[in-house]
Amino acid sequence: MNFPMSISDISLWLAVMAIILLITSELISSATEYSRNILIEKNRLRLVALALGIGFMATVVMRIFQPF
Amino acid sequence: MSREKKKQTAKDAEDKSSELTTTQYLVETIKQLQMENENLKLELRKVRGIPSGKIGLAFIVPGTLALIFSVMNYSNILAFIGLGLTFWGALFFFVRPVRYVKSSLLDSAATSIYTTIDRIINDLKFKGKSYYIPPYPKEVYLPEHLKGLKEPVVFISADTGGMPSIEELAKSKFLLENPKGICIAPPGLGLLTQFEKELRKDITKLQLSELCESLPPIIVENLQLAKELELASEDNQVSLTIFDSTYKNLYTAEEKLKSIHYLGCPIVSAIACTIAKATGKMITIQKDSISPDGQTIKVWYSIIQG
Repeated sequence: MNFPMSISDISLWLAVMAIILLITSELISSATEYSRNILIEKNRLRLVALALGIGFMATVVMRIFQPF
Repeated sequence: MSREKKKQTAKDAEDKSSELTTTQYLVETIKQLQMENENLKLELRKVRGIPSGKIGLAFIVPGTLALIFSVMNYSNILAFIGLGLTFWGALFFFVRPVRYVKSSLLDSAATSIYTTIDRIINDLKFKGKSYYIPPYPKEVYLPEHLKGLKEPVVFISADTGGMPSIEELAKSKFLLENPKGICIAPPGLGLLTQFEKELRKDITKLQLSELCESLPPIIVENLQLAKELELASEDNQVSLTIFDSTYKNLYTAEEKLKSIHYLGCPIVSAIACTIAKATGKMITIQKDSISPDGQTIKVWYSIIQG
């Protein structure tokens, strides 16, 4: 009963999610005219995107010091 | 004669039947339209009523199941799917909007304040001006009897006489005797607190030029109280232009509010408080103008020296 994903799988997943969310949050916060009607917490979305980005960077650092 | 009578009766009957058919047709059409209206209302409710919480739940449940199955079957693909679905479900919960209200409710809630002030001004027969008095900075120590000076207030004078003394203001009284007038909390006091929160700086330490640069994006982008806002200072005058303000209806209200021109709408009032706080000087609304379509509001503030 082991978790089927390795660290490199999680790293890939984090990279894809971080890119999607970072692009979305940037588009939403820059185009204020169009994002006016999008009722979501934009700051929180950015926070999640940054957290995922940092998570991905952490896996990269792990890969440097301890190749997997 | 009898044939003519018969003809008349037949014509009457025909008229009646056609009238009945028309009425029946109209009733049926109305019924059909009512049904359509009800269906549209239901559809609208359905579209409006899907909260992000439900969407989040719809993602989390299959996501968790996929994760459990992936562990049981040691399936990489199922793990990816499960992780993705669970993450997006959690994200939907996390970025759920704070409760929003229609902007039209804001100005209808503010109308009663201005109506009350109008009644007070009319009753006391005041013909003076309003002065936004700057508060003392929060970090400055003041003795207990002067604590009233820490809140920004508006002084509405009875005539064009002088200004109240510090002692008089410190008492936090409503009716002032020397000079005659009233002291009230500015309508934009709540917004001022929001501006301070968003600015993350002490307004008393800001220069007027810095304020003119940093305040418009906060009002337009962060708080979304107007579509566009311009703030410019020149000598002892500050001009403000607001396009499509949330409170624009207050200026064109049926009640023809007088105090809105004395005190300004909550945005105008909050900006007056901010300028007073930044400069440490009294501010008065010199004049205001509203475009014929009611979309643009222009206000000129005057900084009172001394």
